[in-house]
Amino acid sequence: MTVPYSYLDRQFSDIDAYLDDIRQVVQAGDFTLGAAVERFEEQFAALTGLPHAVGVGSGTDALILPLRALGIGPGDEVITPPNTFVASVAAIVMVGAKPVFVDNNDEYTIDVNQLDAAITPRTKAVLPVHLTGNPADMPAITHICERRNLAIVEDAAQAILAAIDGKHVGSWGAAAGFSLHPLKNLNVWGDGGVVVTRSAAMRDKLRLLRNHGMATREDIHIWGANSRLDSVQAVVALRLMSQVRDITDRRIANARRYDRSFADMSDVITIPRRRPNVCQVFHTYVILVSERDRLLQRLLERGVRAKVHYPVPLHLQPAASGLGYKPGDFPVCEAHCRSMLTLPVHQHLTSQEIDSVAGEVRRFYGR
Amino acid sequence: MSSVAGIPFVNLSAQHRALKDDLLSAVARVLEHGQFILGPEVAEFERQFAEFCGVRYAIGVGNGTDGLTLALRALDIGAGDEVITAPNSFMSTTSAIVMVGARPVMVDSADDLNIDVTQIEAAITPRTRAILPVHLTGRPADMGPLMTIARAHHLHVIEDAAQAVGAAYGGCAVGSFGTIGCFSFHPLKTLNACGDGGMLTTDDSQLNDRLRVLRNVGLKTRDDCIEWSGNSRLDTVHAAMLLVKLPYLDTWIAQRRAHASEYCRLLADLPQIQLPAERPHERAVYHTFVILAERRDALSAFLASRGIRTAIHYRVPIHLQPVARRLGYDRGAFPVTEQQADRILSLPIYPELTRHDLAYVAAVIREFYTRSSA
Repeated sequence: MTVPYSYLDRQFSDIDAYLDDIRQVVQAGDFTLGAAVERFEEQFAALTGLPHAVGVGSGTDALILPLRALGIGPGDEVITPPNTFVASVAAIVMVGAKPVFVDNNDEYTIDVNQLDAAITPRTKAVLPVHLTGNPADMPAITHICERRNLAIVEDAAQAILAAIDGKHVGSWGAAAGFSLHPLKNLNVWGDGGVVVTRSAAMRDKLRLLRNHGMATREDIHIWGANSRLDSVQAVVALRLMSQVRDITDRRIANARRYDRSFADMSDVITIPRRRPNVCQVFHTYVILVSERDRLLQRLLERGVRAKVHYPVPLHLQPAASGLGYKPGDFPVCEAHCRSMLTLPVHQHLTSQEIDSVAGEVRRFYGR
Repeated sequence: MSSVAGIPFVNLSAQHRALKDDLLSAVARVLEHGQFILGPEVAEFERQFAEFCGVRYAIGVGNGTDGLTLALRALDIGAGDEVITAPNSFMSTTSAIVMVGARPVMVDSADDLNIDVTQIEAAITPRTRAILPVHLTGRPADMGPLMTIARAHHLHVIEDAAQAVGAAYGGCAVGSFGTIGCFSFHPLKTLNACGDGGMLTTDDSQLNDRLRVLRNVGLKTRDDCIEWSGNSRLDTVHAAMLLVKLPYLDTWIAQRRAHASEYCRLLADLPQIQLPAERPHERAVYHTFVILAERRDALSAFLASRGIRTAIHYRVPIHLQPVARRLGYDRGAFPVTEQQADRILSLPIYPELTRHDLAYVAAVIREFYTRSSA
């Protein structure tokens, strides 16, 4: 049995339509912030139900640019969870601010109950992460942030189409950053990102910040870098727009199939709570398991490309040595990092493949 | 002289029409292996690009601006530091310095439109960490004296070679002089990606290692984040297409240089314009062909009325942009740059132009000055 983690060869097995679109971009020479990017932005905004979307160079930049647009910088603190991809924290550091961690909860998102205690007079924003495609508790976070007058930038890199009570992620924060990285649910052929926002002023500022601060070449009022979604990537994204709901549904169905297979194994497998009012989109399917490293090894030997997201909490990474954290500071996150396991869940896996992965897991525990 | 249908300032589709099949096949190959991020084409293009520039290492990045920012960051240049640069450039030369928290200190231009090396020493302070010359228009800055100054004062040199791939000074390629060289593959560059892309060059193996970490969110391995950093990678699909184009680069440069010398031959006797005068030890690649013209705006309008599109690089010097007010430079701070800004005009120079096109442009310029003096 081989269950690969990557599925790009299956997803793009019929490439001619994509190449036709790219051919048109190449022929027109319309490579930079052209018509395709605008069309993608319109469609992405519509997909999320938010009024504005701005295409940028990467998911990381989709966090950096909103933080910069909010004027967050040196001397400011931004609160985020320690179990996430490094970019959530890097974005905060890149604008010159200080990341302050708050432990994760048992759904792998930020523990809202510990948020208040981490807020200081220097706190300017909270950056919750919708890890695995599971939305953080945005109503509760919003409640706290409104009371404490803090901005919210949602890290929705893994969470396209994730929603709470039918409201798409991105609906709570000042802005939300999405990634279009090749392994994301809506995936382009290189790096790409998109920011959504309810605010026209935020949108306008993001458009300047992604393009050298230039309204026109003759009149530059803010310093900005270069972070644009390439037109060739936008045409790929446009073609995938019609598929993304189906992709998401298949991932959800695969996840539910795993959930059912593991339902009677709560002694060795902890499945995070599935809230009925929440749409989790399963960018990754992550469970907590006993004897994780041995199980992971077994699965790899059997051709199942399981992974760990992420084995080292960010507060314990070498990069964080200057932030003053130590082992034990975030016990929930640290325990998760020792027992988390990511099983393949992508849309190209069949029910049979899901069942055989689940079967390997069950056999490992002698079930 | 018969009129032509029109001469656009750039003509991207002409270049890509010829290479279209090869470019799309390259993209299709990437799709087959699926390594869209830092795939084998990136490594291969880096290898070939390093060889082209005569350096040990080349590191693909997301765009030319990020290249400058990463170069500064890799040299630990930040808050409290000063970097000497030129006010006549694209914005990002200066914005990269601002973005890392350092202070840009500007030096006026010389008659080659590049930094005036005779004024650099006066701008050096105890806080100066680096000189960031720009090889504007594809013409190398005066790297001989500049490197002597940098060595004497123990300063890094970061070359902004965004417009200058293939340019040389004293037989050495730009990008091989400084601690780090920065290149852009923006679609309008001589070697151009079908989107944003950039490259850094260096001979220093430690900088090579650090730049590879810095471009990839600080990750040394998938699970080992050794410093916080952003994401700025050259896409594999862009590298694959650049590999198709690189073999043509010498030809394209030769065509641009031939066009430049043809313009110079055709326009040499016009006293109202000043032409770029390449010095014997320089090899300019004419990313742009910039003349200094009397009554520039009227000339530009006249050319446009005859179907010839021109551009101005750059109409507003960086120190006079609204955003630069806080840097403390007033009008008059850099008189040469400011005078040039009123006279510079970029004529069309892409390889696909014919001799007929060039003759037409020259004839219309001549007509403009003949009419206005009559």
